[in-house]
Amino acid sequence: MAAFSLLRAFASKVNLPKNAINQGILVLRSNPNNALQVVRQMSEHRTMHIKPSRWSWNRFKDFMHFYIMLGAIPAAFVITYVNVFIGPARLAEIPEGYVPEAHEYFPHPITRWLAKHVHKSYQQEYEIMCHHIYEVEYEQKLRQAEKRIKQKMEEKQDTQAYYYQPVSSRHERSIRDNAQTDLEMSGSN
Amino acid sequence: MEDPPSLNGNSNSFVEFMKAVYRTVDRPVTWFRETVVVPNRPDHVYYHQKFRRVPTIDECYTDDMVCRFEAQQQFNRDKLVDGEIVQLVRQRYKECLISEQPDHTRKCAKLLADFEKVSENFCMKYADLGPFNNVKDAYMKQKHRMLWERRHGKVGTGMKNQDGL
Repeated sequence: MAAFSLLRAFASKVNLPKNAINQGILVLRSNPNNALQVVRQMSEHRTMHIKPSRWSWNRFKDFMHFYIMLGAIPAAFVITYVNVFIGPARLAEIPEGYVPEAHEYFPHPITRWLAKHVHKSYQQEYEIMCHHIYEVEYEQKLRQAEKRIKQKMEEKQDTQAYYYQPVSSRHERSIRDNAQTDLEMSGSN
Repeated sequence: MEDPPSLNGNSNSFVEFMKAVYRTVDRPVTWFRETVVVPNRPDHVYYHQKFRRVPTIDECYTDDMVCRFEAQQQFNRDKLVDGEIVQLVRQRYKECLISEQPDHTRKCAKLLADFEKVSENFCMKYADLGPFNNVKDAYMKQKHRMLWERRHGKVGTGMKNQDGL
C-alpha cells in the first residue's frame, strides 16, 4: 500500500499529458530520434481549474451561519437568561377589589411579555366578536324585514308604491355641471 | 425525590450507595439554584382568571345572537373545567390502583364509584353531540333526555313499550 502511494506521487510529477492539464506545464514527447520535442505551448501559467460547482455547498454554509448565528444562538441566550434570572411566576390568590391585567394570568415571563406587547387579550377579542355579531345581526334583521315587506306588497297589491325604486340624481347633477363648464369654456356653435 | 414508603425505615448499603450517587449530582445543582439563581429572581405572581357568569342558552331569546355567542363561550369554558374535574378524579383512582395493587377491588371501590358517577354526569351533559359542539345541541339533548325520562323512567331502566308512549 505504501508502494501504491509512492506510485501516485511519482505519477503526479512525471511528464504525462494528464498532469499537464492541471499544471499547465510543457508536455514532452519522445520521438524515435531520441530527442524530446515540445508539443504544447502555454502562454501563461494560470489555467482554469475544472471542478464541480461548489455553489450549493456555499449557499448551505451561508444558511447555516445565518440561522445559527442570528437565530439559534441569540434565541438560546435569551431563553436561558429569562429562565435562569427571571423565572416563572408563582400562583397567588387575586387580592380583593383588584382586577389583574391580561398578562398577569400567565406564569412564564416570555408568555407574559407576548401577552402584554403582542397579542390581543381574551376579553378584547371576545368583545370585538360580540360587537361584530351585533352589527351583522342588525343588518340581517333589516334585510329580513325588507323581504317580508316586499312579499306582503306582492301578495296584497294594494299600495301605490309600485315597488318604488330609490333613485339617486348624483350622476345627473354632475353631468349637468360638466355640460355647463364645457359650454362656458368652448362655447356653442 | 422521596423514597417509597417501604424504604424509609430500614435501608441497606445498596440503597445508601444509590442515594449517595444521586446526591453527587443533586447537591451542587441544588446549592447553585438556592444560592445563586433563586435570590436574584424578582418575585412576581400570576392568577387564575375568574369569569363572570352570563345568561345560559335557556335564558336567551331565540333571535339574540350575541347572547347565544356568550352562552356558547361559557359552555366551552365549563366543558374545559368539567373535563379537568373528571381528569382529577380519574387520576386519584389510578393512583389508588397503583399503590394498593393486589387489594384494589376492595380498597379503591369508593374512588371507583366516584369516578363512575363523575364521568357519567360529564357524558350526560357533553357526550354524543358530534364533532362540532354546540350549546344549542347540548340544550336539546337535555330536553330530549327529560322527555325520555318522563315517558320511560330513568335512563338505563329500558323503554316502557316499543312504540315509545
